[in-house]
Amino acid sequence: MFDRDLWSEIFNSIKKNKLRTFLTGFSVAWGIFILVLLLGSVKGLQNGFAKEFNDDASNSIFIFASTTTKPYGGFDAGRRIILKNKDIEYIKGSFEGSFEYISGRFNKFLPIKHNKEKATFPIRAVHPDHQFIEKTIINKGRFLTQQDLDSRAKVVVLGKKVVEELFKEEEALGNTVEINGYIYTVVGVFSDEGNEREERNVYVPITTFQMIYGNTDQLAQILLTYNPKFSLAEAINFSEVLEELFKRRLIIDPEDQGAIYLNNKAEQFSDVSNFTFILSIMSISIGVLILIAGIVGIGNILVFIIKERTKEIGIRKALGARPSQVIKLVILESVFITSIAGLGGMLFGSGLLALLGPLIDSPGFSNPSVDMLTIIIATIILVISGLLAGLIPAINAANVKPIVALRAD
Amino acid sequence: MLKINKLHKSYPIGDSSLHVLKGIDLSVESGEMVAIMGSSGSGKSTLLNIIGMLDEADEGEYILDNVPIKNLTEKKAAIYRNKFLGFIFQSFNLINYKNAIENVALPLYYQGLKRKERLEKGLFHLEKVGLKDWAHHLPNELSGGQKQRVAIARALAANPKLLLADEPTGALDTKTSYEIMEFIQSLNDEGKTILMVTHEEDIANMCKRIVRLKDGVIMEDTFVEQVRASQYV
Ligand SMILES: Nc1ncnc2c1ncn2[C@@H]1O[C@H](COP(=O)(O)OP(=O)(O)OP(=O)(O)O)[C@@H](O)[C@H]1O
Ligand SMILES: [Mg+2]
Repeated sequence: MFDRDLWSEIFNSIKKNKLRTFLTGFSVAWGIFILVLLLGSVKGLQNGFAKEFNDDASNSIFIFASTTTKPYGGFDAGRRIILKNKDIEYIKGSFEGSFEYISGRFNKFLPIKHNKEKATFPIRAVHPDHQFIEKTIINKGRFLTQQDLDSRAKVVVLGKKVVEELFKEEEALGNTVEINGYIYTVVGVFSDEGNEREERNVYVPITTFQMIYGNTDQLAQILLTYNPKFSLAEAINFSEVLEELFKRRLIIDPEDQGAIYLNNKAEQFSDVSNFTFILSIMSISIGVLILIAGIVGIGNILVFIIKERTKEIGIRKALGARPSQVIKLVILESVFITSIAGLGGMLFGSGLLALLGPLIDSPGFSNPSVDMLTIIIATIILVISGLLAGLIPAINAANVKPIVALRAD
Repeated sequence: MLKINKLHKSYPIGDSSLHVLKGIDLSVESGEMVAIMGSSGSGKSTLLNIIGMLDEADEGEYILDNVPIKNLTEKKAAIYRNKFLGFIFQSFNLINYKNAIENVALPLYYQGLKRKERLEKGLFHLEKVGLKDWAHHLPNELSGGQKQRVAIARALAANPKLLLADEPTGALDTKTSYEIMEFIQSLNDEGKTILMVTHEEDIANMCKRIVRLKDGVIMEDTFVEQVRASQYV
């Protein structure tokens, strides 16, 4: 393999056919270049989607209640369905191991005051687990705790944007805000990876708000995340079982599509990953088609070169060259041209992506890039392409009969 | 050294076939220098190619150095050619993009020798044919006689037992032909067995034995008094 003469022969034949070598090498380089760009773009799409989804945990299931659209169990259609605290206890009791985090939630839009500053923000009354479901990032202090809920404490966790508007330069943590005449202590400040809109929220213990506003045990939504070890199929199955049981529990027609609604991220996620998977397959196919053109080109040139070198190969055989040695010569030449050209295309493509990729960040398309695996696979494809391209010409060369070659004057 | 029995060879031409060798019996001892003569198309090259394992006989027996040559794989044939045989051609058949020393060293490459050793041996043989100073010239920078001497050096490089030459002087003028013959004679003096095809009576008479072919059979096989080429040079 690292035989100086073998390589000097390969270089010789490349040198004698500069233009043709360049043209075919170029077509292989181009094929790989396009392949890298295509795969990078698919990656960009995936990144874009992932960013959109990062707003909440990707294994979350939201349960909303509405009004029935069908009469059922002696009730008329149009009955309001209300989720309650005990529904959370029910899930906790019945689905141990299937869910990871669970929280109830309802929203109120109320003005919040601090000194002279006053503004209205959405206030979310939630359980402590909500932090993990929404992927809330605590910057300062802490999130709500079970203790806050048990004691119905008047504490708030404020989004970064809320703090900016109400407190300006002042330290928010440990300070107070006033909501509807009640004074709440700020125990935490958070940000959110998903989007800035999230940072305009305010969290309060759900029990505190249930007591103050109507002394109820009602919830607007139940949010949970399923066991992250679940496969997509298991996750979808879990949410179907949940829906069925909730319909039975709340006396809703199993066919009623409106009364209760489960929003499972798994289903959306599987759609998106199917979509990007199909895109990947498509771009790989296109890249491979272009590559094949390059391979055919190189194969053609080699066949031609072998024709030209028939006499030389005959001489070599008369001097004792074994067929395997002749094959090695031709195939290595082909692998060499494809690999060098392909590497060039790959470097150029991934260099371009590395340079421009980080600058690209729009919704749905972010940081197109290629990973190591793609590069390794492309390299393997290249070497195999080289082998394939060299195969027919190499067999031709090995079949050269020395007398025929020597007679060809 | 070699023994041939009832050797036949035909070439297919269209639907029929051309019977070129029609029962050749020939045996050559070690150290002989044999000229093969005959009119054009009589089968001289065909015979030499079969002896050189570049071609295969249809029928008959061929034993080279006690090894029966029959149904060889390409690989085996290549190894035997490399080990036993040196070829010299009328049209030299040097590889045009390799310089003299690289051409001479090529059989050694196929013997698996290290580069340094190859170049040393190559230079030694080039010196033997008097072309040491031309080692780094390409074939197209050499005269016909020089090319043939490079080719002879190449044939000698692997130290073969048998040298096969198909009209080695066919493309050279008389003076150069004699110089080449003088060198080939010196090789024979050193003990190399040599088989050469030639058209020229004077060249044939510089061998020790003349085999005449006609219509695919040996018509005459005589030992002759060797004329030394040195007297003409
Ligand atoms: N591969 C081949 N296919 C068909 N016919 C062939 C082939 N090789 C040789 N012949 C024919 O066989 C006959 C003998 O050829 P060969 O080359 O042995 O002659 P030769 O005695 O060497 O002649 P010359 O003195 O012209 O070199 C010729 O008629 C030639 O045309
Ligand atoms: Mg001939």
